[in-house]
Amino acid sequence: MGQRLTSRFDELRAKTAPQLLAEHARATPHRVAYRAKHLGLYRERSWAAYASLVGRCALGLRNLGLERGERVAIMGDACEEWMICDLAAQAAGAITYGIYPTASVSELEYQMHDGGATIFIAEDQEYVDKLLPIADRLPQLKAIVVIDDSAMFAYEHPKLRSFADVLGDDADGLGALETMAHELNPGDPAFIVYTSGTTGHPKGALISHGRHMAGAYTVVNHYPMLAAKEHRSVVYLPLCHIFGRDLAITVPLLSRLVPHFGESIEDLPQTLFEVAPTVLFTVPRYLQKFASMVLVGLGSTSPTKRAAYDAAMRVGRKCAAARWNGTAGPASAFLQHAAASLAFRPILNKLGLDHVELFLSGGAPLPPETAALWQVWGVNVVEAYGQTETGGAFISGQRGPFPRPGNVGTVVSGWKVRLSGEGEILVRGPDFFEGYWGKPEATHEAIDAEGWLHTGDVGQWHDGNLRIIDRARDFIVTAGGKTISPAHIENILRASPYLAEVVVIGHARKYLTALVEIDFDAVADWARSHDVSYTGFTSLAQHAEVERLVSGEIERLNAQLARVEQIKRFRVLPKALDPEEEGEPVTPTRKVKRTLMYQRFEALVESMYDDREEKLVAAEINGMLST
Amino acid sequence: MSQPRSSGYLRTRYAQDWMLLETRTQRVGFALFAACALALPFFAGAFHLDIANQVLLASIGAVALMLLTGYAGQISLGHAGLLAAGAFTTGILFKEFAAPFWVTLPAAAAVGAALGVIFGLPSLRLRGLYLAVSTLALHFIVIYLGSEYESKRGFSTGVVIDPPRLGSWTLTDARAWYFVLLAAATATVLFSLNLMRSRTGRAWRAIHGRETVAGALGISVQRAKLSAFVVSSTLTAVAGCLFAYYRGFVSAEAFSLFLTIQYVAMVIIGGLGSILGALLGAVFVVLFPYGIEAAMKATALADRLSSLIFAVNYAAFGLVMILFLVFEPKGLVGIWQRVQAWFLLWPFKQKPVGK
Repeated sequence: MGQRLTSRFDELRAKTAPQLLAEHARATPHRVAYRAKHLGLYRERSWAAYASLVGRCALGLRNLGLERGERVAIMGDACEEWMICDLAAQAAGAITYGIYPTASVSELEYQMHDGGATIFIAEDQEYVDKLLPIADRLPQLKAIVVIDDSAMFAYEHPKLRSFADVLGDDADGLGALETMAHELNPGDPAFIVYTSGTTGHPKGALISHGRHMAGAYTVVNHYPMLAAKEHRSVVYLPLCHIFGRDLAITVPLLSRLVPHFGESIEDLPQTLFEVAPTVLFTVPRYLQKFASMVLVGLGSTSPTKRAAYDAAMRVGRKCAAARWNGTAGPASAFLQHAAASLAFRPILNKLGLDHVELFLSGGAPLPPETAALWQVWGVNVVEAYGQTETGGAFISGQRGPFPRPGNVGTVVSGWKVRLSGEGEILVRGPDFFEGYWGKPEATHEAIDAEGWLHTGDVGQWHDGNLRIIDRARDFIVTAGGKTISPAHIENILRASPYLAEVVVIGHARKYLTALVEIDFDAVADWARSHDVSYTGFTSLAQHAEVERLVSGEIERLNAQLARVEQIKRFRVLPKALDPEEEGEPVTPTRKVKRTLMYQRFEALVESMYDDREEKLVAAEINGMLST
Repeated sequence: MSQPRSSGYLRTRYAQDWMLLETRTQRVGFALFAACALALPFFAGAFHLDIANQVLLASIGAVALMLLTGYAGQISLGHAGLLAAGAFTTGILFKEFAAPFWVTLPAAAAVGAALGVIFGLPSLRLRGLYLAVSTLALHFIVIYLGSEYESKRGFSTGVVIDPPRLGSWTLTDARAWYFVLLAAATATVLFSLNLMRSRTGRAWRAIHGRETVAGALGISVQRAKLSAFVVSSTLTAVAGCLFAYYRGFVSAEAFSLFLTIQYVAMVIIGGLGSILGALLGAVFVVLFPYGIEAAMKATALADRLSSLIFAVNYAAFGLVMILFLVFEPKGLVGIWQRVQAWFLLWPFKQKPVGK
């Protein structure tokens, strides 16, 4: 690591995002900072316009009574105003945090209390509706700002303000931003990112200005191509996630990444097609979804076209293997080019992914088959590993181009990774988070006395690359990248009188499912009063009426959960779990042993997942990874 | 408006919606086509050049009829009459007043516009077959007036016209004619393409769809119909004027009902509701008799059937039209679109990215 590089990190550690924004606005006022689609057109925002909007918004927030150190909560899908409000609140000295757009009302209430936001910013009327019923129980709340107020008819809450009003008309935004940025201390906290905790309620990781800047610079430093030339990217990951924030807000301040916002998140395929991004950050779910869409489309194509694709695939597989083995020469490059012209480039063009130079996957484990398939198609998919607690820094990432799938690459410069005796990944770096918001004991659990962060993930070294064996043992990380605490969900579901035990499953899956053990006494009682005849536990558990009962119970309790936490399918265990019996997946105190549970009831679990997509992808790759 | 055909063309101004050629493939394709069109007269012989000129002339008339029939949905069998009106305006002005082309051309256009109003008036009350018959009647009136002029003034074999003259330069060379006609056809196509994307063009399509609904949408059905007839007739009369100069000769016999049928065939075989269809139809119909002739020569039937060559031509022409109507109602442009889609969707069969 050179002296110059160290100084760049040091330099950034003394910066804030609003300050960097103001500097961009002075240095390159006319260069495009980002593009946001409104009414069919991508409106180009220069750095000067961007900074001015942020400055005006910051003034507006101050006028609403926002004081330094207070919190601002933002809820909604990724959009330019989300980013503007976030930076404006930071500039005004406040601490911002995002709330998942899928959060349930109870989750929202918890985070509003926990974070103690004085200003709530809602993307549109939908989120206002979620907040208003609990607004009276939030005494500290000063204002509710609505970004898109087009559906706000007959809302008369005194705290409601529209984003346009907050912006005002003619303030000198850039000047205001510079003044405010000057007053900021880079060591002060900038924002909170909520992550699931063991207690079931999410914990807020507090991250400071300077450390986040330096942390996010590890991404640019690890992938220097981000700063080499102008890159187009598309923003679609939730901005309340650290990964989404990096891509949309921070990395563009540190590189030449130009984010693009589509008309709405639902229009993602359209947005990708129009923008043809060169750099994308994604969670594995999207890679899987796009791949399965392509494979399903190819399944119904004409024989000629299918034959062309198959031929390209044969060539592509060989070329990808050659790249992984480092034996790719000019001949291989030529063959890959031919295969791409024949089939891959037309496919990618339709997805808008034919210009992608770097496709960075993080947030959840990326199935190696999926990565391999994209690489055969000629897309440089690399996997990176980070934690909310590392404040926006990557811990490791595959450098590529076209790395062999199955690991998360090399550790970024300036950071250290060590494996504990049990194989847990321990990380030490210069730019951690500041601690969990209001939970100092949790902070001490996460970072030990020597300054090592305990990730909870189990890893292994493989030729200098870090390989993740098991992620976050106690949590479920869905294929969508959302970390979920199963204990929390199970506790809620166990509230039903008919359910004795519930085991939530969903690690690296598309959705959550549950294995359910019925409460024999309660259900038997119910059965008698409903004329359901049975002979014993198994016959009762497998009765169609009982299944309907359980389904109704789960549906009722699902309402208390955020959308991603809801149980989509379940299976009723055919026999009672007996702790006395040897090898049963429950401890004597009836604690469920998750892995054993899965092993014992694997067939039941798998029957709840429609794994067509995964099978499609795996079949396409044809076991080429096993070598 | 429409979707770009390739990824990576994000629009930052609404004006970009109007671009006729948006993607690189489209631009390169068009550039190649334009280069071929410009190079053609330097490689083609006199015979082929004459065919090319005929195609260009026909394409102006075909596009004009496409606007009226293909887009606005108004059936007209008066197309030959309108061509004749343009040609006779030119001939009469030249013979009586020795008018130069820059007088005869606008005059032909004016006469065309006036006739468009007259042709269009029945359309306000009549539809379908009745409208077709009323336009047919007007065709005969125009032809009658033309032949009356010929016989009364003693040009019973036709009116001879000198080539257009600009200063000391006269337009006689076939190659020069090619470029003039190419420019005229290009201008017509561009005008029509843009007109169809304008308020007027959308009104025409609306009345084609259903007049009542169009009226309910606030479109003045009368004005839309009359404007369709006027624009179409004006273009047709200009084509008639160019035709007169190109041939150097105007005669009522040249504008028989068969000419009308040929133009209707261009529009139908080309594919209704498409400017490209009009162009493809013009190429097809102009080349068709030459193709038949070549086929007869090749099969050595020409000697035996030499007296029947016109009959064979007509019969084959009729047969082709029936076949198109039955098997390919969307015309040549339908075939073209299928071929295009096959490549555009490659390697899929349907669009995989659902919207």
